This record gives sequence, structure tokens and C-alpha cells, in this order.
Amino acid sequence: MPRWAWPGDRTREFEETALVHLDTLYRSALRLTHNRAEAEDLVQEACLRAFRGFHRFNPGTNCRAWLLTILKNAFLKRLKQGAHELLDSDPGDQQRGAISITDAGRTRGHPEEELLQTVLHGDVDRALKTLPLAHREVIVLADLEGFSYKEIAQIVDCPIGTVMSRLSRGRAQLRQLLGGLAREHGYVKESE
Amino acid sequence: MNCIEFEARLHPYVDGELEMNEMAAAEGHVVQCAECRARVERERGFRQLLRRQPRESAPPELRAMIRARVRRSARLAAMRPVLVGTTAAAALLLVVTVLPSLRPTSSLVSDLVSKHVTYAQIEQPAEFVSQDPRAVETWFRQRADLRVTVSDYSPSGIRLVGGRLAEAEERKAAYVLYEKGHTLMSVFMVPVPARGADLSGTRVSYRGHDYLTLERKGYNTVAWTDGKTVFGLVSMLGYEALLECADRLRLDRAERFGA
Repeated sequence: MPRWAWPGDRTREFEETALVHLDTLYRSALRLTHNRAEAEDLVQEACLRAFRGFHRFNPGTNCRAWLLTILKNAFLKRLKQGAHELLDSDPGDQQRGAISITDAGRTRGHPEEELLQTVLHGDVDRALKTLPLAHREVIVLADLEGFSYKEIAQIVDCPIGTVMSRLSRGRAQLRQLLGGLAREHGYVKESE
Repeated sequence: MNCIEFEARLHPYVDGELEMNEMAAAEGHVVQCAECRARVERERGFRQLLRRQPRESAPPELRAMIRARVRRSARLAAMRPVLVGTTAAAALLLVVTVLPSLRPTSSLVSDLVSKHVTYAQIEQPAEFVSQDPRAVETWFRQRADLRVTVSDYSPSGIRLVGGRLAEAEERKAAYVLYEKGHTLMSVFMVPVPARGADLSGTRVSYRGHDYLTLERKGYNTVAWTDGKTVFGLVSMLGYEALLECADRLRLDRAERFGA
């Protein structure tokens, strides 16, 4: 039957346009779920959803951001079903975790740069894990995956201004948390 | 631009996200103000720290699995000619369930076609996957106490995929799934309701037996009943292939349980 010819073309197009971003999808899923099996599952779900909705994707527009939007929505849907994570649409100035959040940059006489030099690779993920989802996702997208504000606004579905404020608060929190971890490792003395 | 104004733009400045004119103003301020310059350096350092994080790749097995599932999904999608019709069929089915008295005479066949279309869209249409007809029969017997005959059509190139329990006319039904190339064929066995089976279609005689044929949404269906069970075949395969399968099933059934 001649109509069997088109799925192959569509599959190839999808692989060439969308599946090339699989690494980004996987890393983002890992940082959203903190669980390898769950991340793999989430990426599979997102890819299949993307494939089924591929006719809605406008060629020439940003496929990576489109895919991340689908991943994010699939993740949110799972959260609502499982509700195993605090879901903050905007955590505002709330403090979370054991470390209180101050504007680390204003702390005078604190050799913070030196402190952050001692951060171990796993620390960033450990610290990210304790950030509220709304802050974590903008940091993952902007700082770890290099998305623009405009793309992030599309993915997390909020105004660019909100992306900026979340980034600014999230980075301050993350910096503080990493400082705490470096101290924990004993690289920097508490009294410093 | 003063320090307070700059601080509000610190992050977009470092991220290169300011508009041209704002960027120039911010640049001007940074050149003059040592304190803000230090802030910028600090933010840049932090950004670099984050960028230095190892960038893990997706596992090759995940990539392979996704590619396989996407291809499968494409094949299944190609099997449903009218996607919009599925929703309409689902709506019809709902009305039918709520108002049984308005049931159209060929509702069972419509129902089976809808199910076929639905199953064709899911990743694993068979609950129990096996190419062994006896294994699938045993699964139905143990799982739902259904005496199901599963014919072997492999000589005609129609491969057994597996079985699934379905519900048709509010009764437990057996659904046996076959595949010829990329074309699915469903064989449903539904117990005849107490009020009798209402089947309609074009009466066709094939090797001495009567069947009802009906086309629904681009799918060919062949149905018959032995008084206790309604048998329905649904596929995009041609009538001749379906009738041959129906005849084989009828013979196998007679051999197993008596005519």
C-alpha cells in the first residue's frame, strides 16, 4: 500500500530534528526527577508525545525549546499524579532547606569565590535537589543547558520577568547551598 | 544608570539578555563602578562553575528504545486512516452505553472497530504477547476462564502477536491480535448477550458458511455467531483474507469443541 511510505519519512524527520536533542532532554529529566529510571521513563514519554504531536511543530522554529516544553508538561502531570514533590508555582522569598538564604554576595569579608572553587562535581546536583522546582528548573535550563530567557519563558510558561526573578533568587540560593556543602567537606573552616 | 538600577539588571546583563540600549547603559555603569564590576565578576565565576559540570549523554539503550518506539508508533499511526473518526466513535459508544434502547443494530461491530482502532494506537496492544497459539489460549483460560480458539495463520504470513481481555456489549471479550507486515488484524470473541446478537451487514457465503461483512471507517469486518459466541474479525486486510481466516477459525473451533 503506498500510504505506508510516509511514516518512514516522518520518522526520519523526527529523528533528525528532535532526537538530536535527546541528551539535553535526558539531562534535564535527570535534574527534574533525581532518579535515573524515572528520568528515562519521562524522556521516553516526552519523545512519544512529541512524535505524536510532531505535525503541530512548526519547522524552522525552536525544536529544543518545544521538546523541553513537552518534557516539562509530562513531568508536571506525573507530579500531580504522584505528588511526591512540593510543587511551587512561585516560591517567592520562602526559605527552604536547612541553610538560610541571604544575599550571599553582600556578606562582607567572606572569601566566597575561594569557597566555591572547592565545590565538587556531585555537589551542584545535591544542592540543586534541595531548591524549589520553580528555581531549579530555570537554573538547569539557563546555566546548565544554555537556554535563552525567551525559551525558558516558553518552557516554564511564565513571563520573562518571572524567569529573571527566579534565576536571580535561585542562583543566590544555590550559591549559598554550595557554600554550605564546601564547608561540610572541610575545605573551608566554619570560622572564616 | 546607578547601582540600584544596575543591580536589578545584573542577571540579564551577565546572561547577555539586555536590550541593546540597556546593555550600553549597563556597560557604562560597570566601567565606572568597581563594586558592580566585582558583582559581575562574581556572577560570571558562578556561571562558569555551573557550566563546568559534567554533561552526561543519554544512555545508548534509551536512545535505541526511543527510536524503536517512535518507529512503532509511526507504523501504528499509519494503520488508522481517519483519526478524527476515533473520537466520533468514542462519543457514539458513550451514548450507546447510556441509552441501550437506542443501540444501532450494528453496534457490536462498531464497538469492535473502535476497539481495534484504539488498540492499534497503543504501544503494546497485546496484554499477553506470544506467537504460540496454545500459550495464548491457556492465558485466556487461566486469566478469564474463556474458552478461546486461537488459529495459526502463519502459513498465510499472518503472525500471532498475542491476546488481550476486552469488553464488548458490557461482556468480557477475548481479543486476539495478529499482524501481517504492518497491518493489524483483530479477532474478537464475545459471548452472545441474553437478548441475542444483533449483527447486520452484507450476507456472504464462503465455503458453505454464512458471514456478515461490513465496512466501518475504512476497516473491513467479518462477523458470525455459533449461537453462544459472536466472532468478529477487523482489519484493513481484504475480505478474501479475512474470510479465509474466519473459515480456518471455524474449522479449528469445530475440531476443538465439536461443531
